[in-house]
Amino acid sequence: MKILVITEQRQGKWNKTSFETLVAAQQIAAATSGTVSGVVIGKGIAAFADEVAAKNVAEVLLVEHQLLDSYTPDGYCVALRQVIESAKPDLVLFPHTYQVRDFAPKLAAMLGKGMIGDCVGFRDQAGKLVFVRQMFQGKTVADVSFAGNAPWFASFQSGAFRADLLEPHPVGKAPVKPVNVEVKPEDIRTKPLDLFKEAKSAVDLTQAPLIVAIGRGIKAPENIPLAEAVAKAIGGEIAASRPICDEGWLPMERQIGSSGQTVAPKLYLALGISGAIQHVVGMKGARTIVAINKDSNAPIFEIADYGIVGDIFEIMPALTEELQKAKS
Amino acid sequence: MAIQREQLQADVLIVGAGPAGLSCALHLASLIQQHNASGAKPELSAENIYVLEKGREIGAHQLSGAIMNPKALAELVPDFQKSAPLDTPVTESAALIFTQKSSFRIPITPPPFQNHGNYVISLSKLVKYLGGLVEAAGVSVFKEFGGADLIYEGDGIAGVITEDKGLDRNGNPKANFTPGYELRAKITVLAEGTRGSLTKQLVAKKHLANINPQTYGLGIKELWDVQRGKIQPGYVAHTLGWPISTEMYGGGWIYGLSNNRVSIGLVVALEYEDPRFDPHAAFQIWKTHPFVRNILEGGQLVRYGAKSLPYGGWYAMPRNYFDGGLIVGDSGSFLDSQRLKGVHLAMKSGMLAAETIFEALQKEDYSARSLKSYKEKIDQSYIKTELWKVRNFHQGFQNGLLNGFLNSGLQQLTGGRGLVDPMRAHEGYEKYKPIDGRPAPERFKGDGKLTFDRLTDVYHSGTRHEEDQPCHLKVHDLNICATRCVEEYGNPCQYFCPAAVYEMAKEGAGVKLKINAANCVHCKTCDIADPYQIIDWVVPEGGGGPNYEGM
Repeated sequence: MKILVITEQRQGKWNKTSFETLVAAQQIAAATSGTVSGVVIGKGIAAFADEVAAKNVAEVLLVEHQLLDSYTPDGYCVALRQVIESAKPDLVLFPHTYQVRDFAPKLAAMLGKGMIGDCVGFRDQAGKLVFVRQMFQGKTVADVSFAGNAPWFASFQSGAFRADLLEPHPVGKAPVKPVNVEVKPEDIRTKPLDLFKEAKSAVDLTQAPLIVAIGRGIKAPENIPLAEAVAKAIGGEIAASRPICDEGWLPMERQIGSSGQTVAPKLYLALGISGAIQHVVGMKGARTIVAINKDSNAPIFEIADYGIVGDIFEIMPALTEELQKAKS
Repeated sequence: MAIQREQLQADVLIVGAGPAGLSCALHLASLIQQHNASGAKPELSAENIYVLEKGREIGAHQLSGAIMNPKALAELVPDFQKSAPLDTPVTESAALIFTQKSSFRIPITPPPFQNHGNYVISLSKLVKYLGGLVEAAGVSVFKEFGGADLIYEGDGIAGVITEDKGLDRNGNPKANFTPGYELRAKITVLAEGTRGSLTKQLVAKKHLANINPQTYGLGIKELWDVQRGKIQPGYVAHTLGWPISTEMYGGGWIYGLSNNRVSIGLVVALEYEDPRFDPHAAFQIWKTHPFVRNILEGGQLVRYGAKSLPYGGWYAMPRNYFDGGLIVGDSGSFLDSQRLKGVHLAMKSGMLAAETIFEALQKEDYSARSLKSYKEKIDQSYIKTELWKVRNFHQGFQNGLLNGFLNSGLQQLTGGRGLVDPMRAHEGYEKYKPIDGRPAPERFKGDGKLTFDRLTDVYHSGTRHEEDQPCHLKVHDLNICATRCVEEYGNPCQYFCPAAVYEMAKEGAGVKLKINAANCVHCKTCDIADPYQIIDWVVPEGGGGPNYEGM
């Protein structure tokens, strides 16, 4: 059985699951007396190919092209299709990465094949290769095998095989064979922009010493700047009870309470928050709680250190002004 | 683009790990084990039985009073007395009539309120125990997976599609999106409990309803730890009267558990005239009765929950067998509304379903014709004996308490027949009377010690849902809510929901329905009691919902 392993590197860095997948390939090859070919794809990646060549593989196919510099699903599919058609493997393995999830099903479909994704193991069952994958969030596993003819496509989940079991090349180094692929600019329908990291939660309310939180009493999103002004004047973070975030007036990460963050700041200023227990459990650890609410029976006053029964729309601007005065 | 779903093939798929579903699984697994041990062919496997459960854990969504008649459990687990968590046997049964200030004990407790030989239990604990036995028997219970859709085939069903996971509130896939599985089975058992969402679909689509529509009650419960000596373990009392008007059907319960724990609750039929009746508030007010207050004072609320229950009985029982499937438990109307007991009947229905399935697996015939023997088994069992006697019971109360007592007395004398047999029932929501411009009453607030507002109680239900998911309460016409319903009924959803899910929020000059779906305790009241029948309760992402540990 000839096994092709499509490794993944990005911007000069390996995706480590590539090596785990190489281990899987080595083990399948051992069970089926097959061979493993590593595939390295991109641009300016000779060093990566050498690294794979030092492992126990029969060969490394080096797929380089100007248009493969940045990952695009079209570019990878067009190139890898040619690699598969010329190398004629029985089995093509991928690490189950986000990038593989993006292009591998498309590649398999281009060749009229199915794919078994996200496998955690394999078995050689009387000459038939069976893949094992989890179902029901890992509560059960299923054996899956291919019905049609080779080449077959499968990907392995991160952590399914141990990278430290990767066998080095027995005598030194496998040959690195460049494969010429034709990729035309018009093949590629997407234009990669600069890579960016999704911003982590922009705020960490649990670290904020001063929090100004708003509740239903704020009435409309247009009124939020009034509270933000208070927060700015005091040098604190803005936060909210569930209804506000539920309406989308503030992002979810600013929600305090049983279904949001639990905080214990030095000062918690609750504006128009009634103090339902669901909110209170998220902030009752605050050192000082100041509550402003027009309903004198609001439960927030039971836990507040200081309370003002009044209209937040009168108090917020006045408070901002006083705070600014005090600072200057 | 159609989603490609992964398929899994089972022999038997049971939707819902409650008393009925688990009894079915356990009984079937033991029949299979005996069958295989005897060397009979074809060999069967309990590993091909799957159970779906939408709760985080087995038992998480189980709520009942509960007093259990142990006879089905004794058949299912003969040595149950050694291993089952039964809490405490009933030692004293009282029936009390409440007026606002005082209470009278009926000198001779009427037979329906006699509970000698029964046990006060936590249904959640019992179900957790059954779940352990089921899993030990080799059956897979998939927790945190709900049945979202049925796979229809021919005149029946061929399995279930589980709910999609990882959708955001607009229905777009998030990074963790996992499409629901297509679980195909030779036989699918609907054991969804009260007002099952798949059962509802199926009964309508395949015209399985009986001569009466299903009618429901809503039970609201609190579990309290009280001061030592306030109540004896095994003491059970049922209360009638205040604060429930004689126009309505309902009553309270007080059950003494071990370790100074008390189960209290109020059940009301979801068929009343005032669309602004608030069952949760009625329960809170009931707690202020001197008799109840005395027990609770100085104690502490431990847990809260609510659930509807099917009152319809025999004449509301849907046809419970069809090609590829059966209906068991509360979904199938196996509840005695006179004694308000359904646990043993649910379990028995599950066991009879298991016997039917076992035969079907041997003959390899899963058609309605083959599964019809389920119905025959029910007719020959104590399920029919018990339900037949009370076949007209609840209908007799649809016109108030006094009428009900008259009817029920006559039925008692005539073996359940009464004046009219079968007595017809009507949908509970048809009973609402328009508000005719009456102003809305003030909402109940609670004192925070003995009585609570709904949000505080919901907090004690342990309810949790993934916040960023599509709303699982599908309202088909929001326009009705903001216009017709405001005028005609004053938006009863704000009042009947015991979890403060529905709220009419001001928007400009008018109002708009706001749904706080994350509060939902899965009682199904909205699906039942909405006057326009435009609310569909569907399963949320698996794992969401209350945590009824100990309930």
